[in-house]
Amino acid sequence: MSLRGEAAIIGIGELPTQRSTPGRSMLGLLGDAARIAIKDAHIRKDDVDGIVTEGGTTYPATVAEYLGIKDVRFGTGSSMMGASGATGIAIASMAVMNGLANNVLVLMGVARNPALGGGGEGFGGPGGEFEMPYGTAAGANTGYAMIYKKHMDQYGTTQEQLAHVASNQRFNALENENSAFKGQAISHQDVLDSRYVNYPLRLLECVMPCGGAAAAIVTTAERAKASLTNPVYVLGVGTALDDFGAYPKPEFTTSPVARSAPVAYSMSGYTPRDIQFAEFYDCYTILEAMCLEDAGIAPKGEIGPFFASTDTTYKGTFPINTDGGQLSSGQPGLAGGFRHVIEGARQIMGKAGVRQVARNDLCLVNG
Amino acid sequence: MTSEYKKPLPSPAMNPEVSKPFWEGTKKHELWMQYCLNHNGHFFYPREVCPICWAPQDRLVWQKVSGKGRVFSYTTVFQPAIPAFAEEAPYVHALIEVDEGARIIGNVIDIPQEDVAANKLEVNQRVEAVFEDVTDEWTLVKWKPIDEG
Repeated sequence: MSLRGEAAIIGIGELPTQRSTPGRSMLGLLGDAARIAIKDAHIRKDDVDGIVTEGGTTYPATVAEYLGIKDVRFGTGSSMMGASGATGIAIASMAVMNGLANNVLVLMGVARNPALGGGGEGFGGPGGEFEMPYGTAAGANTGYAMIYKKHMDQYGTTQEQLAHVASNQRFNALENENSAFKGQAISHQDVLDSRYVNYPLRLLECVMPCGGAAAAIVTTAERAKASLTNPVYVLGVGTALDDFGAYPKPEFTTSPVARSAPVAYSMSGYTPRDIQFAEFYDCYTILEAMCLEDAGIAPKGEIGPFFASTDTTYKGTFPINTDGGQLSSGQPGLAGGFRHVIEGARQIMGKAGVRQVARNDLCLVNG
Repeated sequence: MTSEYKKPLPSPAMNPEVSKPFWEGTKKHELWMQYCLNHNGHFFYPREVCPICWAPQDRLVWQKVSGKGRVFSYTTVFQPAIPAFAEEAPYVHALIEVDEGARIIGNVIDIPQEDVAANKLEVNQRVEAVFEDVTDEWTLVKWKPIDEG
């Protein structure tokens, strides 16, 4: 299988190149170019379900938020400097030919606006103007705490229920050589007794920033068969992304997993009921809980009771974050989500040692 | 008004010319938002393109809005990221949905400090905009609970 003949460009948009773009920002210019491109392609704004940006200066989520693109199934930055445009088309082609998106918007640009000072490129987002003056908390705490509070109000989720996320994962981390909290037990009550960083988020419901790194090798199934290790096959993949900030999201307490998980299930031929254990991104208890719901591990709004009644340790009936996750192993920056992939593979390879789960054939990972 | 204001002032990194009418409005103690003439609706934060229908800049106008809304959700900040906020912690950082439908970040003030610390504020609490002239140049919009009986 190759890219040959599998994907095509169906519309283009280009703005006049100008020495100076007074009154305009990069995001605004990208919007104008996008409008021309969809018109040329004879599609509607809502048909766009993939975004590829330049990457080094622009996150797909920032563009999705600014342009209000609601159902983004695939987004990435090209991050290839001057080759980002051509590489972006290659990435978009791979996405559509593999069913990750139908209409990928590849968009790159830069403003030169004298009012923006310096080079006047205007890469910025809204945070410095409309959020920081009101005293945000550290990292992503502010937004996730507001999601937590909304989830409590909407579904009756309690802090007692979600504290199990943190205490169960700490149990899983106790004998993990790679955990920053190895050997440091905490109880469910310890989580509830920990101080508020910002209500409803308590200290032990937030990740600790750490250093660290991970790597993996991917090869073809054909080569994997001849491998000396126990291969971990990728059976289904779904991706989706959300707005960067909290402003517009109509479904505040629903994560993009609601859109990515069905794609992964359908590609794999399995359903939520077939999943034996899960490794889920967990910067905060609430984020992990919400994503598990959206992946169908519990019905929407019922993840609180699920955690209150299910043993999610590696010894339990449905193990989750069997290495302690980021909450109990530490978060190596934006690489933190990779540890879930690594632990899922380690369990399937049968290399998890004392925390090896009993049923290790099928894992759902959200990174 | 004080020249010793230590907290971060709005730092328009996207496009100060586009958001200018918003900050001119707050200076007059009024809340203004962009309105799209194509799909007939308000949105926030200010943009050069309508995020609902991609209408271009010449179809976007500014309108004074009611300044009333509800708390969509909130967090009580006990540990601010910015040291200048430390002395007033805990305080409420909220997402407000204005009656015209758009959402905006801000602080909910005028709540007894013991109620703030006990997280007594409720989601859906009705609020209205109040304006704080924090420097000669900048006026921030904040929100206070209202009782409409």
